[in-house]
Amino acid sequence: MKTIRIILTLLAVLGLGQAVWAQAEKGTVLIKNGTVLTVTKGTLTETDVLIREGKIVQIGKGIAAPQGVNVIDATGLYVMPGIIDAHSHIALDQINEGTNSITPEVNTGDALNPFEVEIYRALAGGCTVSHALHGSANSIGGQSQTIKHRWGTYDPNALKMEGAPRTIKFALGENPTGHGRRDGTQPQTRMGVEFVIRKAFSEAREYMAKWDAYNKAKAVKGFRGAPPAYSLRMETLADILKGNIIVHCHSYRADEIQMLLRVCKDFGVTKVVFQHTNEGFKVAPEIAAAGAMASVFSDWWQYKLEVYYSTAYNAAILARNGVVTSINSDSPDLIRHLYHEAGKTQKYGGLSDDEALALITINPAKQLGVESRLGSLEVGKDGDVAIFKNHPLSIYGVPQYTLVDGIVRFDRAKDAADQRLMVDPKQTVDVTMYENGHGYDFCMSGAEFLFEEESKENK
Amino acid sequence: MRLRPIFSLAWFMLIPLCLVAQDEPELAPVTRTYAITNVNIIQAPGRKIDMGTVIIKDGLIRAVGKGIAIPTDAIVIKADSMYVYAGFIDGMTRAGVNRPKEENQPRVKDPGNPSPERAGINPTNDVRYSLNPADKSLEELRNLGFTTAQVVPYGNLLPGQGALVLTAGKSADEMLLVSRSSMYSELTGAQGVYPATLLGVMATWRDLYRKAVNAKNYEALYASNRAGLERPVSDRNLEAFYPVIDQKQSVTFRAERLLDVSHVLTLKKDLGFQAVVADVKDAWPMINTIKASGAKTFLSLDLPEEVKKDDKKKEATNPRADQEKEALDKRKADAIQAYNAQAASFQKAGMVFGFSTMSAKAKDIPANLRRMIAAGLTEDAALAALTTNPAQMLGLSDRMGTIDNGKMANLVITDKSYFNEKAKVRYVFVDGRMYKMEVKEAKKGDPNAKVDLEGSWSTVTETPQGKSEGKLTFKKEGSGYSGKISGGRMPSPVDLSEVTLDGNALTFKYTMTFGSNSVTIVGEVTVEGDTFKGTVSFGQGRTAPMEGTKDPKN
Repeated sequence: MKTIRIILTLLAVLGLGQAVWAQAEKGTVLIKNGTVLTVTKGTLTETDVLIREGKIVQIGKGIAAPQGVNVIDATGLYVMPGIIDAHSHIALDQINEGTNSITPEVNTGDALNPFEVEIYRALAGGCTVSHALHGSANSIGGQSQTIKHRWGTYDPNALKMEGAPRTIKFALGENPTGHGRRDGTQPQTRMGVEFVIRKAFSEAREYMAKWDAYNKAKAVKGFRGAPPAYSLRMETLADILKGNIIVHCHSYRADEIQMLLRVCKDFGVTKVVFQHTNEGFKVAPEIAAAGAMASVFSDWWQYKLEVYYSTAYNAAILARNGVVTSINSDSPDLIRHLYHEAGKTQKYGGLSDDEALALITINPAKQLGVESRLGSLEVGKDGDVAIFKNHPLSIYGVPQYTLVDGIVRFDRAKDAADQRLMVDPKQTVDVTMYENGHGYDFCMSGAEFLFEEESKENK
Repeated sequence: MRLRPIFSLAWFMLIPLCLVAQDEPELAPVTRTYAITNVNIIQAPGRKIDMGTVIIKDGLIRAVGKGIAIPTDAIVIKADSMYVYAGFIDGMTRAGVNRPKEENQPRVKDPGNPSPERAGINPTNDVRYSLNPADKSLEELRNLGFTTAQVVPYGNLLPGQGALVLTAGKSADEMLLVSRSSMYSELTGAQGVYPATLLGVMATWRDLYRKAVNAKNYEALYASNRAGLERPVSDRNLEAFYPVIDQKQSVTFRAERLLDVSHVLTLKKDLGFQAVVADVKDAWPMINTIKASGAKTFLSLDLPEEVKKDDKKKEATNPRADQEKEALDKRKADAIQAYNAQAASFQKAGMVFGFSTMSAKAKDIPANLRRMIAAGLTEDAALAALTTNPAQMLGLSDRMGTIDNGKMANLVITDKSYFNEKAKVRYVFVDGRMYKMEVKEAKKGDPNAKVDLEGSWSTVTETPQGKSEGKLTFKKEGSGYSGKISGGRMPSPVDLSEVTLDGNALTFKYTMTFGSNSVTIVGEVTVEGDTFKGTVSFGQGRTAPMEGTKDPKN
């Protein structure tokens, strides 16, 4: 018997009018007797994990439940760190400000939508954190927001992972150039992409120099002079050059990956994560040498020309060449089964369990700069946990509970049909067509007798 | 009466002999003194005088109370058992604001760097130069009891300066109470150019504001001692922010959705200006956050349509589908109820809020107020949100919001309590000018009468200038009727926009357009067999008797 005495915040907030509007609610819970996949410290059987006020405080055998603490009986279940998706666009009302090739001043954190049911669906796949990336319409797109899937909150800002480093989206190749060709603006070629990025960085250098000079002069008594013009765009670019923002660069081809590595080297930008990295397998040693990281799909390709030269071994090759590699979804569907996506690397590349799990836990945490708080089950880290029936890398793995900051945000046993937090009062109520359309299975047309006889035999 | 030419034209179209006499010049009122006697005076929420008198003189309230002597030159309004309230104040509307013509914008060469105008950065634009006192929407607001409104310009991002205006006046200047009452903003992007999305809009807001702060500081430095300093170059768009930076002017945002409100509060927190969120529709889950932010709030008087009970016999469906539909219907009904209860939630949280009519249909507003009251808003709180609260929020408390000696004569008089379903507005005073509403008793049809409406009817309308003949045709459409009207000098038949037959009481409506103006003409007649009798009205109390006879069927 499972002893679950957890008040599902989710159900509490479904009652309209009485909503939670708190910044980062934290929970206390004891997960008993599970197979704990720490990812970084091996696998511990029949082990308990105690989370207090949203943080893991103890991992061990036979931890006594402190008084009044909710207990999840994980006997026979697998307990792993919450899955992290380094490339996603869920929970966003707007994804692309693609009107200009350089828009670092925008921030997806301004367009979060806590009511998107995709958040809940991600939780149902054990995914607790995602990187709400700006789109790839322009060469330097917007700053992006690392979010925690605190489904149930009505406050978009409460999704933001407090303390997560700033990140920004860059994009190379067909997307930004196609945009330029359509508008008749730069960039229209891969050469143009390199040029607009170099130009932006160069302008930012000048901007920084002007402000540095002004601030230095201002410190001298009796200084009189005009400050340089302020620009949020230049401020943001300057922050990239100062190393305050991690670059996440949409890229497919090996040549453009190397191009960006050269540009970053020239401007002293060291925090770089390549997204998609479809030809990463060709330049894995170069990526590793530059200290850059890579986030890839498991086996999704050939949806456009630049994604033609692909392999399902990409993640394994990158990982074995020392590149910190993650597998991402870029999709509200794939985000629900990133554990399957990670599992594919065992078929294509023979990664170990911990190596495969790292692709969706500690490695994406490193890419988002949050590895000190997320990505493994260790004392002191955030209480973000996914609990599976069967091993998560097995095709039979099914998420049972997903916890964010020690609060159960998904419980398979209490998975209500209608998860909407806000209901459109003007919507037309439309119901499933249970009978129409699929009442007859044409695939089996003319072959029904086979099964009728079979069923007779079975009797 | 600026509407006169239109109405004349309406007559003209229907009636061969037009009313030439309508072009007479408007006469100055005989007196500007009024005495409203024997009236229930709701001076302010919770402050009532039974059967008292209100004296108005020269646009101001001069006396309020019992046993007050009536000035000899006063026009006496015997408001026996009626109710008088302070004129209502609308927190945000575009009533009376000319809508810019939809023009095909020329293609911007570089969509990433459009002109500020094209990007939506027009904070120097002033709504007072786009006002049309003859706009029908102003009359609609006034007929509901609104005597003051904050009007805002059309546009995206930073459309310009709002203004506080009266809902009546001979000219835009006469309507104007407070110019530049607030800077107006909508967090919507420009069409196809930067900033095209919320992302760009938020960034542009921060960028402009910080640029303005820097420019303002430098100007101050320059003004204090110009020697050795480069001349600051003017930028009208940045200068428009100066009163906002100085906290002398607030920024009013259209923020219908909870997330819109949240975005406004984010900007407010980042930049530190005074914000007003207006036309708010579903922000009940974040009341405490709004309260803590100190942002002023105008709740929308628009509500989602109530679901009508479906009495039709259902087709037999799958029980699972029925169950699913029932659950979804219930959630929808609960959602609608939550919208109804938003104002009550704000009241319970101790928030001071007003109302705005921006996206509400005028005809729905009284019913929407009643829905809010039914959902828990007290009548006093509703009245406060229409009068004292907006007066306070908009800095008008010294002039209006209550019925007190010395305040502007902005009043609304109803035959029953305003929030009574059967209440009708009888008089509205705007700045001491009286507007009298024609109230027609609803004609009760004989519910048992059998009427065969379908077919063609010949009509005769009696006008002061003689008879006008026309044709009305009706056709059965499902459970109702459609129809057409022709005759007079109407160039071609016009479709009736509405035909209702209640027993033998027939109402029909149609709209005639003259240039940019349109007028709705309403016919109300009683059908007896093959004839009908009644009136047609052209608005503003102009009516004419109409009779009809059914044409024999071919």
